[in-house]
Amino acid sequence: METTKGRISLSHVLILIFILSGFSFVQAKMLFAYNGHGAQTTEPQTTGPQSEGAGIVSKFKYKPIEFTPPKPERLVLDNGMILYLLEDHDLPVFNITTHVRTGAIYEPGEKAGLANLVGNVMRRGGTKTRTPEQMNEELEFIAASVETQIERESGSASLSTMKKDIDKGLEIFADVLMNPAFPEDMIRKEKDEILEDIRRENDNPGQIVFREFRKLLYKKEHPYSRRTIGYKDTIENITRDDMIAFHKKYFHPNNVIMGISGDFDAWEIVEKIKTVFAEWEKAEIDFPEVPVVEKKFQRSVNYIYKDVNQAHVVFGHIGIHRLSKDYFPINIMNFILGGGGFTSRIPSKVRSDEGLAYSAYSAFHTPRDLGFFFAACQTKSESTVKAINLALNEVRRIRDELIDDDELELAKDTYINQFIFKFTSSSSIVGQMVEIEYEGLPLDYLETYVDNIKVITKEDIERVAKEYLHPDKIKLLVIGDMKQFDKPLTEFGEVNTIELE
Amino acid sequence: MKTFRIRFLLVAIILLFCTTAYGQKLELDVREHTLDNGIKLLMLAKHDVPIVSLRIVYKVGSVNEHPGITGASHLFEHMMFKGTEIFGIKDYDSEKPLLEREDELISKISVEEAKGNDADKEKIKQLEGDLKEVWEKQKELIVRDEMWSIYLKNGATGLNASTGSDATYYYCNLPANRLELWAFMESDRMKNLVLREFYSERDVVMEERRLRTENSPFGLLIEQLNAATFTAHPYGWPVIGWMSDIANMKKAEVAKYFQQYYSPINAVIVVVGDINPDEVIKLIERYFGDVQSQPPPPDVTTVEPEQRGERRIYVEYDANPVLSIAYHKPAVGHPDQYVFDVIEAILSHGRTSRLYKSLIEEKRMAVMAHAYGEPSKYADSFIFFCTPRHPHTAEDVEEAIYEELERLKTTPVTNRELQKVKNQLEADFIRSLESASGLASKIASYEAIYGWRYINTLVERTTVVTPEEVMRVANKYFTKTNRTVAILVNKKKGKEPTDGNNKG
Repeated sequence: METTKGRISLSHVLILIFILSGFSFVQAKMLFAYNGHGAQTTEPQTTGPQSEGAGIVSKFKYKPIEFTPPKPERLVLDNGMILYLLEDHDLPVFNITTHVRTGAIYEPGEKAGLANLVGNVMRRGGTKTRTPEQMNEELEFIAASVETQIERESGSASLSTMKKDIDKGLEIFADVLMNPAFPEDMIRKEKDEILEDIRRENDNPGQIVFREFRKLLYKKEHPYSRRTIGYKDTIENITRDDMIAFHKKYFHPNNVIMGISGDFDAWEIVEKIKTVFAEWEKAEIDFPEVPVVEKKFQRSVNYIYKDVNQAHVVFGHIGIHRLSKDYFPINIMNFILGGGGFTSRIPSKVRSDEGLAYSAYSAFHTPRDLGFFFAACQTKSESTVKAINLALNEVRRIRDELIDDDELELAKDTYINQFIFKFTSSSSIVGQMVEIEYEGLPLDYLETYVDNIKVITKEDIERVAKEYLHPDKIKLLVIGDMKQFDKPLTEFGEVNTIELE
Repeated sequence: MKTFRIRFLLVAIILLFCTTAYGQKLELDVREHTLDNGIKLLMLAKHDVPIVSLRIVYKVGSVNEHPGITGASHLFEHMMFKGTEIFGIKDYDSEKPLLEREDELISKISVEEAKGNDADKEKIKQLEGDLKEVWEKQKELIVRDEMWSIYLKNGATGLNASTGSDATYYYCNLPANRLELWAFMESDRMKNLVLREFYSERDVVMEERRLRTENSPFGLLIEQLNAATFTAHPYGWPVIGWMSDIANMKKAEVAKYFQQYYSPINAVIVVVGDINPDEVIKLIERYFGDVQSQPPPPDVTTVEPEQRGERRIYVEYDANPVLSIAYHKPAVGHPDQYVFDVIEAILSHGRTSRLYKSLIEEKRMAVMAHAYGEPSKYADSFIFFCTPRHPHTAEDVEEAIYEELERLKTTPVTNRELQKVKNQLEADFIRSLESASGLASKIASYEAIYGWRYINTLVERTTVVTPEEVMRVANKYFTKTNRTVAILVNKKKGKEPTDGNNKG
């Protein structure tokens, strides 16, 4: 190991040691916090077991679990890079997961697909000093991987390597983030493959549904309505210079949150990170303004013809963003409505009770601006309208009637008792801290998580259901063959027929 | 930190001592215990997090079915979530006569329907009305999806089940202190299952088939490829079953199937996580010890005859072309399987794999090209999938794949390629130790087809494969005579599918 690298910046080592001892203090507080409720499992209090079996298991006593989840160390480097570190010496592995503040929301409409293309070619196209072939061979020979990706609202980069190859892995990882080459031939290849993916999108109804549903929910000008992989004409508008400029704009250390876990020594790894990213300069980033999502609810009924014997159904409307003050009660409400698997109302009704669908569920998609609520299912053509009505009635019912005590208890116990599974690996522990900070959530999100669930009441559920569900103002989208439907879709209003792209 | 020290010591139990690049022998130290009734218990302690990953495997899958009841194993898997005599029902004594009446009415309806044109339609309508009434009464007694709810309430994650050709798996992860709850509920499912809501669940499975197969170009192609590859062996029919078999499946048939195959001798319990194996043995003995033992179910004796020439089929569907190719290969346990593992890796793992480099990076003919050669309990097939990039055709990419196979047959693979496979295999093994859930699934799936110890042979046996063996195996199996080619063709022939060029 090249410890000489550390010599030049001994002061930082001291800072880290200081922070590490500070860390043990935080750790002690965490221990208290989690012992209070956190990773302890609660005893389910079944109010009235409905079956003999439920009666028996409700009397089971369990030894309490005491578990102090390891808490990653948070550190901000001079260049602005935020690090989360968690040592785990169980296995000789090393992982980095990184978020970069960027995304397709920042690309101009006429160049839709730019961010995605940058994210893919960054890795695929090699760097200024490493051809793609060299890099692939170097990494795969040591069973390591470096991957990059840019999605709608975030960029990500990851490194996975064995302990013995940390130096090599870090070197390539940093090279990819800082010096991608974006060679023309690789850009062409990537574009051609995306165009083929676009050609194939309509082959599968499942791939059509949400692409079209977004267009119904968001105005054409808003990036939330667009396809992140782009369109035939916009992809051709993208030049190599556009890609270089996009990369240059967003990939700076002060725009990065990095989660590092595995078999390493924290102070050594921080020195290594500093060394490999030494050339990476801090920069002021001027984020383009993203238009605000219009909070507008207007009913519409939409239909796309596809020659299939099963209809794909989705309905919903504008919802909440990730930082909504009602995020927790909305989650619990949705668990009861359609997000909790078989036990929740929509699947219970549509699937278990009536046998009308294999998959039926509801969810709140929660991006940075207003996302959307939706319910979806697939059902044979002959039961399309029936299934829509069943699901829609459940959305009405949870607004109109107070939920049962045991439904609330089931939802809350599920969330609280599953909490421990957020800590099953060191890479997932740092990964979720990176995510929490990236999303702008409070850094004590996990410490307060269980309390946030515990305080939810039936009345909260009623309130958020009334405030955030609008069953009479849904956008309904059905893909299938209308001729085979049980009833015409006009039952829900005037039908707008959409031609497939 | 205390937690870390404990972690370190206990992982040492998983990783036995020996010699590799990592100074450890890459083997799992699974503890085995067999109950008198034949249930096998496999345990692996991993104390880093107080959770436990649980699997029950029944060594039954579509391979045990026969024409007429294809899909029975999978449909049965769905029924396992419907409850028992004490779960999922308010009062089983009141439900029992309704279940009997259901059977009676169903059999009367099928007797009448069997008369074909002479069937009394009025009578059928009457019987169906009666049946509906029975179901309405039963609904009042049912506590819907109760076992599922109890698991969730206790913090279960990864609740699921899956059915394959060779085995059926039930998955559950729980906080470690909930192990007894699981043992109680699962042993009850094994002993006192009730085939409740059978007919509405049959409808759900038909929806599943529509979703996964009939309206999915890939699903459809795979089904047709297998049907053409196997003329005699049960791997030829789909795990989910043919639509007409699902639609006509009777509860009595499935009940008989359950009796025969969900027997203790056919069951394996896998427990990985924060456990004390001695206590687990006691617990499992207590709850599962009284399950009645049964004679072992019959073996599958049908053997796929040697293929006598290339088979080519075309599947017409409203979608862009996809190519699939299958070559027969031997069952798990045959030494050539290790060579196939190496071939799969060289052809298809990662950006340096031969198919990716040749078809995607160099020739630029395809957007996806994969090879799959995982082991199965019985002789199965080594499969290729490839999606050509327009205007290249399925036939173009087919030729390109054959070129790669010719290369395997005539030119020895390099030592560097073999070393890379070895490095990846070792690293993957080590990475797999991080997840209790992943380990439990791995132990379960190898136990189902051969025995969990197969896992411990993987690194050692695969890393000694030589370039000569790769050539020998390629020449032996990748022959025109031994292959089946299935191509998905756009049924709107002559008409180009519309390009996705308009921004909507």
